[in-house]
Amino acid sequence: MNATAVPSVFQPFPGLTRRLAMAMALAAWVVPPSQAGSLQPEELQILGKALNFMEPALNGPVSVAVVYRDGNDASRRDAEALAAQIDVIDLGGQHATAAVVSSLSLADARFQLIVTAAGVDSEPVIEAAQAHRALCVTADVDAVRAGHCTMAIRAARKVEIFVNRGAAIQTGIGFATAFRMMVHEQ
Amino acid sequence: MSHRTGAIPLAAAIAWTLSGLATAFAQSPDNGKLADLFNEPVTTSATGRPQLVSEAPANMEIITQDDIRRSGATTIPDALEFLTGVYVRRYGLLSADVGIRGYDQPYNPRLLVLVNGREVYEQAYGDVPWAEIPVQLEEIRQIEVIKGPNSALYGFNAVSGVINIITYDPLTDRVNAATIRGGTQHYLSGSAVGTGQIGDVAGVRLSAGGMRGSDFAPGQLSPIEAGVRQAPQTATFNIDAKARPAPGSEIYIEASAADTRYAEASFTGDMDTTFRRTNSVRIGGSVDTGLGLLSLSAYRNEALNSLDAGPALVGIADWFTQDIYVVQASLLSKLSADHTIRIGLEYRNNTLTAPGFLQGTVGYQVYAASAMWNWQITPALSLTNALRTDTLALRYSGTPAAFSGFDLADYNHAGFTAVSFNSGLVYEATDQDTLRLMVARGVQLPSLVEFGEQSPFGALGPVVVAGNPGTRPAVVNNIELDYDRALPGWHATLRSALFAQRTDDIISEPFSSNVQFVPPFGIPLVTTTNVGSSEAFGGELGLRGQTPGGLRWSASYALAATTNHTTLNTGPQATSPIDYAMSAPRHIVTGGLGYNWERVELDVKARWQSSYMDYRPTGVGFYLQPVTVQNYVTVNARVAYKLTGQLTAALTAQQLNTARLYQTAAPPIERRIIASLTARF
Repeated sequence: MNATAVPSVFQPFPGLTRRLAMAMALAAWVVPPSQAGSLQPEELQILGKALNFMEPALNGPVSVAVVYRDGNDASRRDAEALAAQIDVIDLGGQHATAAVVSSLSLADARFQLIVTAAGVDSEPVIEAAQAHRALCVTADVDAVRAGHCTMAIRAARKVEIFVNRGAAIQTGIGFATAFRMMVHEQ
Repeated sequence: MSHRTGAIPLAAAIAWTLSGLATAFAQSPDNGKLADLFNEPVTTSATGRPQLVSEAPANMEIITQDDIRRSGATTIPDALEFLTGVYVRRYGLLSADVGIRGYDQPYNPRLLVLVNGREVYEQAYGDVPWAEIPVQLEEIRQIEVIKGPNSALYGFNAVSGVINIITYDPLTDRVNAATIRGGTQHYLSGSAVGTGQIGDVAGVRLSAGGMRGSDFAPGQLSPIEAGVRQAPQTATFNIDAKARPAPGSEIYIEASAADTRYAEASFTGDMDTTFRRTNSVRIGGSVDTGLGLLSLSAYRNEALNSLDAGPALVGIADWFTQDIYVVQASLLSKLSADHTIRIGLEYRNNTLTAPGFLQGTVGYQVYAASAMWNWQITPALSLTNALRTDTLALRYSGTPAAFSGFDLADYNHAGFTAVSFNSGLVYEATDQDTLRLMVARGVQLPSLVEFGEQSPFGALGPVVVAGNPGTRPAVVNNIELDYDRALPGWHATLRSALFAQRTDDIISEPFSSNVQFVPPFGIPLVTTTNVGSSEAFGGELGLRGQTPGGLRWSASYALAATTNHTTLNTGPQATSPIDYAMSAPRHIVTGGLGYNWERVELDVKARWQSSYMDYRPTGVGFYLQPVTVQNYVTVNARVAYKLTGQLTAALTAQQLNTARLYQTAAPPIERRIIASLTARF
């Protein structure tokens, strides 16, 4: 591979050495930022209902960290929009209070639930979820498949819920048997 | 599946499994909540595990509460009549037989009907007394109709299909409604449903209803049949109570009673009037543990039945009592991301006492074990296998009819073990296409009367009528291919099915069987017999949708071509009301339209079926004469107007297109106009 083969995403940084560019390309491949967007209003409503089946049950009011990609304005705006929607819905029968948190400061925040905005980098999210024993919810099914988040919700044609068992175990979260029968477990 | 998932340490997986042992789950799930979550009906009727109807390895139709309301139905068979592949034989305001994919007949024994999993199938004759089902239409969440055998989950008699009537959950659903109805045929009925709840800890739902009316014109009834016919009436009561003593666990109790009277076509084809009092009590519970969902249930169904069939039964006691005890236990567990199992145990004790036509008591005990395994092979492909074994031990105490050829020992040493299975492959080829391939073996049990009838020579005429402890269960093997396709451009769904089915060891009750002459005196004897086999081939094609403008529409076609390889009706005169080659219509076409406009709700449904052959008594012995029931169209319409937020007035016309229609060889069905007022609060 020569320098011209570096992905175009790195072209705004012409001063980067070839080795560094390769390392970043590898990092981007291993932990890519989410390309799946964020939960839609309908999917947030579904999340609220799905939480009825979670163990341990959430005690209200539920504090939600809506996490965005640090330094990414679009991701932050998306998180703010999500937070505004979460503030007015029931989560598992409980009132919710949402706070917008950057991915880099997530570890220091206080929350019971993480909802990811568009473009969020996965590693700090799942680490914070494990540290806080909190449920991580995303629109990014691939992130759940990879174990970077616990639950994904998709309602494009029909409602589908994806749960990563390993991530759930590591965050100390369980779900009712009947619910587990209905979702796609990884 | 991610490569990382495969790397989950075994210890972590075990921890996942055991994590719930110490603490049960926060909420005990119910199908209503799951249906609300997934925005689609959820069922446990196909395999015993909750799943979306669209993903179930069974050909299943769901009739929702909205469907029931819009149909204007006053009985459950009314609500089933326009369903693809369902056959309804109506005899009066309350009485009807329902079949699936042909094989409908008087006292149809091939369809298992349940209310929330409790069977309401009557084991005495092997039929479904629909009028006695103690459920008001307003408290039904959905009626789940499974076409094809499902004995591997439900056991005996789930051979043509299963209908599971699911009511609202008293713990989570609040249903308060009252309806009064009045109409032609002096029809008057009322029903009320009320729910009380204490937070999410306990709930109770009470319901009661009753009707009376004058049945249809006597038509071609014989003087004896017309003489015994009495106006139908029914009164039913039901209570469902459920509590959640701890997170993840539920206990419940259900009790019901019904008192009914109606004229119906009996299994011999003649019309009589049945008087029945039934009651049931059921207790049960479930607990969600780390091993899975453990469920226990026990219930008792009791029935007291008497019959007015005219002079034919003069001189013998024409009543029976039936007791059914069932205890069931099951464990439903998701072993891993891709594997789910359900294991079940069941004990059953059925008893029928009739001093007249049984000369004693006949009964049996059944011990059953079942297992279901679901394997999600890929995200788009799943395989479900279910296996069940039922071991039956027959018993009889009383006086076997002389010259029947059987003594007490024959009865008390009789029994068998029957194996049934269901296997289904579901392939969701795309977001819009689903294919199902299913094979199944179902088992139909002889009824208690078919086992134990004992009418000595002279009791019912110059003939001995006897059950047969050696009767084998009928076996139904079925193979089926289904294809469903969502048609988003049409806002519609296409459903199609092809099936082939074979029934072996068809059971004939004694009155329909060929006469034998018992040596040395040549005493005539008719007895329960396995009479041969039948095959069925067919399919269904249905479209259902709703335009963006709100117009609801549906259209369907069902074909069921059946063959007859039996020894029935091979003598000079027919003795059985069944000729499997001709005794159900081969073609059925249905269509429907519906629209809501401000406070008005309007629905019209039409159904055409081809001609078929039915039978009615000649009045001489047990002989029957064939009657061709011509093809016919029936149109139902309902218009409703919401007077206030709580009050709705509706007018329903059943069989709007014709004043009088012969649907069977029984009396004709008359046009019915029914007005109703419903309050929901």
